[in-house]
Amino acid sequence: MTAQERQIGRVLRSTTAGYTVGCRELTAEQSRPMPEFGQLVKAQMLNGDTIYGLIYCVTIEDDAFVRQLVAAGVEEAEFIEDQRQRRQVPVVVDVLTVGYGRGDAMIHRLPPQPPRTLDPIFACDGAEFVRFTAEPDWLRIVLAAQDAPVDQLIVAALRAAAEARPADQRQPYKVAAGRELARLLSLDIARLDGILRQLR
Amino acid sequence: MCENLFDDVGGGLTLELNKVTMHLDEIGRIMAERHNKAQQRSAQARALLSEHAEVTEELERKIARAREVDEWRRGAIPRGRRLDETAAAPRPPDRYTLIAADGSQIYPDRHAAASYFLLNTGAIVFRGGTGQAPTIYSEPEVFYADEELYDENHEIHGADYVSAQRNRREIEALADRAEEERAALGGDVSVPIICVLDGPLLPWMRPNPEDPQAIDAEIAFFVQQLERMRRAGAIPIGYVDKPGSANVLRILELIDTPIEQITRERLREGGFIGLADRMLFGELPPAHRTGLFEPNSNTNDRYQYRSGGDRITFAYANMARDAGPGNAAIARLEAPGWVVQDPAKLDIALAALYANCEPVRYPYVLARAHELAVVTQAEKADLESMLAQTMLRNGIMPEISFKAANKLLTAHRR
Repeated sequence: MTAQERQIGRVLRSTTAGYTVGCRELTAEQSRPMPEFGQLVKAQMLNGDTIYGLIYCVTIEDDAFVRQLVAAGVEEAEFIEDQRQRRQVPVVVDVLTVGYGRGDAMIHRLPPQPPRTLDPIFACDGAEFVRFTAEPDWLRIVLAAQDAPVDQLIVAALRAAAEARPADQRQPYKVAAGRELARLLSLDIARLDGILRQLR
Repeated sequence: MCENLFDDVGGGLTLELNKVTMHLDEIGRIMAERHNKAQQRSAQARALLSEHAEVTEELERKIARAREVDEWRRGAIPRGRRLDETAAAPRPPDRYTLIAADGSQIYPDRHAAASYFLLNTGAIVFRGGTGQAPTIYSEPEVFYADEELYDENHEIHGADYVSAQRNRREIEALADRAEEERAALGGDVSVPIICVLDGPLLPWMRPNPEDPQAIDAEIAFFVQQLERMRRAGAIPIGYVDKPGSANVLRILELIDTPIEQITRERLREGGFIGLADRMLFGELPPAHRTGLFEPNSNTNDRYQYRSGGDRITFAYANMARDAGPGNAAIARLEAPGWVVQDPAKLDIALAALYANCEPVRYPYVLARAHELAVVTQAEKADLESMLAQTMLRNGIMPEISFKAANKLLTAHRR
């Protein structure tokens, strides 16, 4: 792992199609919030494979204590920071698996095994995001997802993937991705139009 | 359908509510009657307090006499010249540190598969006025070695012993954190450090006829820890929420009793038995406290002896936001005598605690210390499952008693 990659949390439960991660808090370091909708994350498997996934839901859990503080209108920073940083009320992150890496190859299919309970999950750096999204086949997996907000996820991930590229490559990347989406959604023009409008 | 019906009858209902419901009206009627009587009697007590608030020399003699004739009477000695004194909390200091500690335990259980007991001590250091997240601590300890688990008669330690060990860790955690905090402040004593225990400041122990001095050992330990806090410039406070104590009412009972008629029998009939002092002080304005009283108790005497003359002192305070008896949230604040020698110190502690009560009408730090300490049933079950696995790995078949096994079978009713 490089210095750019940071752990966002650990696996709570998983399937080959996706997994749920528990993290202690929302953070914003190096001007980038974590965990973030559409962010590419990864888990390292024992056989050396790397499982890649896209964050499609971030849930901040509550409990009766938090609700009581909200009802009381608490404003003091000490109480708020205690709840955010110290209490064991995790941020729950749902991840859609979109492929895996084996050696130098990026494979846009579901992996043979899911990550294990308590495996650490890391945010990918820009270079890895670029490598993973060099070919557009991962879009097919996202489009087939059942529980994720698919269209929004595609837009967020493509925008992030474009942002990870040098400035002169961003627009060509988006155009190429748009062409691939047009092919995959040729029977649903209204939906395609919605995605492309948000991608611009 | 039939199977479900059968299951409901066979596996579920052991409390036959239909046999209880016939009593509910009667329970409600008796509770209302009891409440009304308590209201009337507490009104009488308040009237007596306002008419006879002065602490006369005669009253002081009666208090001394009552203690002589009934050693176990839990009265109080007023430190001021009036019983109805009040004081307002000042604004909380710009910066203050509140430290709270709480403990919980898994008691030894001879019916369980493994012989052990567990203590978990939670603590929080809340630095008011800094905007920082507090620092939290949670220290679990498991006791399983022979010398930890068995007493000198080779019997497994009972609940009283484990509770005493838990109490020790709570007060020790406060002293540890207070010393660390003062050191972290570079010895700056302008930032008050208030250390809060949930409950009375001194430990309570069931009298043990076989070891009447056991309580002295515990009090001696508390004296040492309180002394550490004193050296760290900290203010130890025992915070009793919704106190059931009636020490001031015990004083009021003496007002109309001629001193020569003070006998143990007369005292134990007491005109205000069943009431609590908090009913006397429901009209305290928010963020105000009563005057100071010393518990006139055997435990305080033992503390005085062990501490070289100090006496624990208490006051009641209203921690509510809104005025009026219906809104009152009376708490009892206990502090060593060396704190209240300068009442301003107690008032700083009151101010800090009152500010800390805002979110949950109870000191936030105590709620969090409890949360950090508490061992839930689910956590206990997880620990015992891991213990059973480790016993299996060591070639021992974990066995619980037939009683415990049957409790498990019947505990999960539908």
